[in-house]
Amino acid sequence: MEVDSVPQQAVQDLGQIDSADLVVGIVADLSQEDVAEVCSALRTLPGSPRIVVLQNRLASDSTPTGSAALAQDSSLSLIPWALPTQSSPMTPVEGMLAAYQSILTIGERLGVRGCCVIASKLEHAPSKWVCQLTAPLLEASCDFIAPSYARRKFEGLLNSSIISPLTRSLYGLRIQNPMGPDLGVSQKLLQKLLEREQNGKTGASGMHLLASLVPLVLCGNLQVSQAYLGARSYPPGDWTTVSSLLSEILGPIFLAMEKNAACWQRTRTSSPVKALNEPVSAPQTTGTVEIDRLVNSFQLGIRDLQEIWGLILPPASLWELRKLARLPIEQFHIPDELWVRIIYDFALAHRLRTINRDHLLRSLTPLYLGWVASYARELETAEENAIEHRLERLSLAYEIGKPYLVSRWRWPDRFNP
Amino acid sequence: MWGQVKQALYQSTTRFVTRLASLVPGFVALFLALLISLLLAWIVGMVVRRLLSSMRFDERVSRWGFSSLAEWSPQNSPTLLVSGTMACAIVAAGFLIGIAAFNSDLTSSLVRSIFAYVPNVMGAIVVLAVGAVVARYVARSVLIGAVNLNLGYARLLSVGTRWLVMVLTIAMALVHLRIAVGIVELAFGILFGGIVFALALAVGLGSKDMVTKSLERDAKRTPADTVDEPLRHL
Repeated sequence: MEVDSVPQQAVQDLGQIDSADLVVGIVADLSQEDVAEVCSALRTLPGSPRIVVLQNRLASDSTPTGSAALAQDSSLSLIPWALPTQSSPMTPVEGMLAAYQSILTIGERLGVRGCCVIASKLEHAPSKWVCQLTAPLLEASCDFIAPSYARRKFEGLLNSSIISPLTRSLYGLRIQNPMGPDLGVSQKLLQKLLEREQNGKTGASGMHLLASLVPLVLCGNLQVSQAYLGARSYPPGDWTTVSSLLSEILGPIFLAMEKNAACWQRTRTSSPVKALNEPVSAPQTTGTVEIDRLVNSFQLGIRDLQEIWGLILPPASLWELRKLARLPIEQFHIPDELWVRIIYDFALAHRLRTINRDHLLRSLTPLYLGWVASYARELETAEENAIEHRLERLSLAYEIGKPYLVSRWRWPDRFNP
Repeated sequence: MWGQVKQALYQSTTRFVTRLASLVPGFVALFLALLISLLLAWIVGMVVRRLLSSMRFDERVSRWGFSSLAEWSPQNSPTLLVSGTMACAIVAAGFLIGIAAFNSDLTSSLVRSIFAYVPNVMGAIVVLAVGAVVARYVARSVLIGAVNLNLGYARLLSVGTRWLVMVLTIAMALVHLRIAVGIVELAFGILFGGIVFALALAVGLGSKDMVTKSLERDAKRTPADTVDEPLRHL
């Protein structure tokens, strides 16, 4: 990992600190009161560990830290730190991912026992759950603590539709959010992550780090747990950036699949991961989904992108998609089996470089929006239990479809139904 | 007098036959050169074809992103295209060697000018190949981007972009070949401008209603409407 990824100001502030037990990086834009509460909560951790808290602050923000007194404490150092987004032309996602790199770099430099990142604004105050993400790391009872948020039917759709069920099917771990964004990693996992990046020398982004977490845990026989953190507050979505999101997030996941093919091909079944606390439920959000617009995007894709999809998908899938495009919106539904095969075929095409990888991932957008429309239509009036059942069904479809992926992965030319 | 006519006729026949006879070795050499080059071309073509087939060249080409090469190939096989091109190059070289065997000033200068032109031809081929790849890449980027933005005229935009790049490429190749440079420049300007104008008209007129509706919707939209969409992807 490059030293340059750590902001210069943070390097100067860190100069007085030789070592620490825990680094907590606050990437989310928390209020000063929340930060002070996080620090207070961290002080209650058993064994009086030495803690460094990196607090995200705007570079222009000159107001004194609400917890300035805490910053001078011998067991806890609070270091203000400007995210790269404020000073460089990065997208918010890229800025956040650069922050992960910085936090891990600092963790490695200080020789910590664990590293924790707070990247979301949650409806519960972070002081209530930050210890869940850190205590097991200090006790060395866990190497990766993944977050689990209260389910809301139309939130985290990319995770629900692809990332989580794909991870479950490939690596056999039923993790709700395999890529965080809030997470805790142990020293062992941190070293493995950094070793991999140093060996790779590919200038991997933070997203590659996040995509490598679960494969490293599974292939390195490390311990993983899940902490229920409550409901997450999401910023308003912008449908025009969906294709960029797909490209930025799925690219590293498919690359990780390629690197760990020997490992995931051996995994046959999935198992639940250890929960550190009780699940939390949250009221469902209101709002109407514009299903018409989503279906129109899908139909436009069918009309104009068939030539490209023809290079990626087998004829049977294309035929089914064409049939779906002719259905009236009230009957529009993408079967799970078809969706799973589409994702597996895209992963395979990514590996084989059938077309330019950025084109490949961006061309998935109308299909993804079609899935979202189908899911939204199905769950418009559903309760939380129904959401769990629906997503469990999808995850099972991913697991059932895995032999298809393995066969196509091993014999892409011979096995092409 | 009859004797003089007979002598003149005899001399002209002798000169003609002598000149014709002097050309025979050249023709034989040309024939032999062609024969040998054909044989060599057949052998090289066969070896290259087998080599490329064993390497699964057709699949690799498609995997490397040059699938449009198959469209231009005989029987949709880039292997046949490459082996055929090599065979043709060998036959052409044999023909030029045969022509040079006449050892006349005309053929020598012909061969010289043909060889001097070869770099231009090679350059034009490279320009065309690169242009075709760039055109396809750009067209695909435009198509996917436009579809993802829900633009109904995505295909039109994509095709227009492809033709813009192809027209530019063909003009560059023709200039490289030094074929009617003035006409090419003029025609290129007219065609390029025409395509841009046609695209602008098509998109502008075609989406007039859509733009009006979009602007009206934006003007009427309240801040509450913008956060109403409950979908959160990340």
